[in-house]
Amino acid sequence: MTEARAERAPGAERSLPQLAELLYLLVRKELKVRYKNRFLGYVWALANPFAFAFVYWIAFKFIMRLEIENYSLFLITGMFPWVWMSVGVTGATRSFIINASLIRKVNLPRAILPLGNVAQEMVHFGFALPVIVAFLWFAGEIRPEPSWLWQIPALIALQVAFVYPLALAFALANAYVRDIEYLVGIGFSLMFFATPMVYPITLVPEAYRPWFELNPLHALMQSWRSVFLHGTMEPGHLAFTAVFALLTGIIAWLLYRRLAPRIGELV
Amino acid sequence: MTSAVTCEGLWKTYQRHRPVGVKTLLLGTSPPADTRFAREWALAEVGFQVPHGRSFGVIGANGSGKTTLLSILLGTVQGDRGRVGLNGNVASLLELGAGFHGDLSGSENVFLYGSILGMRLAAIRQRFEQIAEFSELEGAIEQPLRTYSAGMVARLGFSIIIQSGADILLIDEVLAVGDARFQAKCHGALREFRARGGTLLIVSHNMKEVTEVCDEGICLDLGRVVDAGPMAGVAARYQERMAVAEPARGASRAGR
Repeated sequence: MTEARAERAPGAERSLPQLAELLYLLVRKELKVRYKNRFLGYVWALANPFAFAFVYWIAFKFIMRLEIENYSLFLITGMFPWVWMSVGVTGATRSFIINASLIRKVNLPRAILPLGNVAQEMVHFGFALPVIVAFLWFAGEIRPEPSWLWQIPALIALQVAFVYPLALAFALANAYVRDIEYLVGIGFSLMFFATPMVYPITLVPEAYRPWFELNPLHALMQSWRSVFLHGTMEPGHLAFTAVFALLTGIIAWLLYRRLAPRIGELV
Repeated sequence: MTSAVTCEGLWKTYQRHRPVGVKTLLLGTSPPADTRFAREWALAEVGFQVPHGRSFGVIGANGSGKTTLLSILLGTVQGDRGRVGLNGNVASLLELGAGFHGDLSGSENVFLYGSILGMRLAAIRQRFEQIAEFSELEGAIEQPLRTYSAGMVARLGFSIIIQSGADILLIDEVLAVGDARFQAKCHGALREFRARGGTLLIVSHNMKEVTEVCDEGICLDLGRVVDAGPMAGVAARYQERMAVAEPARGASRAGR
């Protein structure tokens, strides 16, 4: 017997292995539907971040002649984690609306839908890793470091913990206020330039630099860069990212508890 | 002995709120509430019990709250007051194949939909042969779902549900799919399901069907239980009432 107005979201009784299998099938579905098992699909997954990096390289290195060492490496190492985050969160924001029939007709744990988007983009990032490593080697003569074997998985885990709460919170908010999905898109475009992505933070005037340092996205992206470019992890940036992930995680969980039961009527 | 499905004093009202835009949030103005279809209760004081292994029918006119009732039992929508209890694994046929994807093959959809319904992969693999056989799709099961006819999709959906290992099936108006022969096969499978101790809760407009399948039932009108008891009697009285009902009353309903 449960209260009809229980503080529990649908599908709460499912076990973890069950959820893991469901997540796996949902992600595989998306990848299959998008690429239809063609090899070219793999190439498309990489094309977008590379195209962006190339455009910025042309604009800043070739036309504006910015004096930055290893600018192409700087761009590439930030671009792929960024695309994972922004595409994942933007897609997740719409996930409840797109999967309305699942939300309304099946007692599915709703939180798994935005997680699917995050996981899907994580797979794309995984596809890109060998290409990033090859690019670093040939264009920058940075040899793969043995320490990457634990550093990269650790950062992937950190990034999932960082991105998923954002994805879940925006997805919930979007069920209530439909314009959120557009605002999230615009927000990531703005944040791309507010975060030192195409310029190093050393180019920011010193008076403003502390403000840029407060940006958790910068700490996350800088963590990726220091692993790829130097094989090191900066404890400060890691700790900042982890604390931010923990706080947003708590907020997203509270929001989920409170808002998820109603979205069956909203989507 | 506990019942398979219990529902006590269930109330539900759909709020007038709609997904709002940012403009509304910022300016604090909202369009005047649309009261044309306003009705206080979607469900009012609904209560019934279904023992294990029984089949229960819910009938009523459009907008009387049948689907709302199933959604609350399933947990996708929340009631406002009252208690619901389901004793066992629940699978819904609120919509056959919610979660099917047209670009995936029939067999890939079996795995995806099975998992959505809560089955483990090992169990799906184990029952795959039976699912494929029941669906009578044969070679077509490896074709993309978008090439299927509506009847084929429904057959596949039903085949998965019946093998899903659920103890309680909530069925909303979906048995009227497939040709007469396949319908007969579905009814046979549902009888077997009940013989194994499974419980059925069926929403339907097909009085002949509910009378055939269900032992007991209720009739809803504007969210209230207006009749309850053995299904044949409930269905017969409902049909009498519908025959004399004044058509104007339809205007006061809120559809959902």
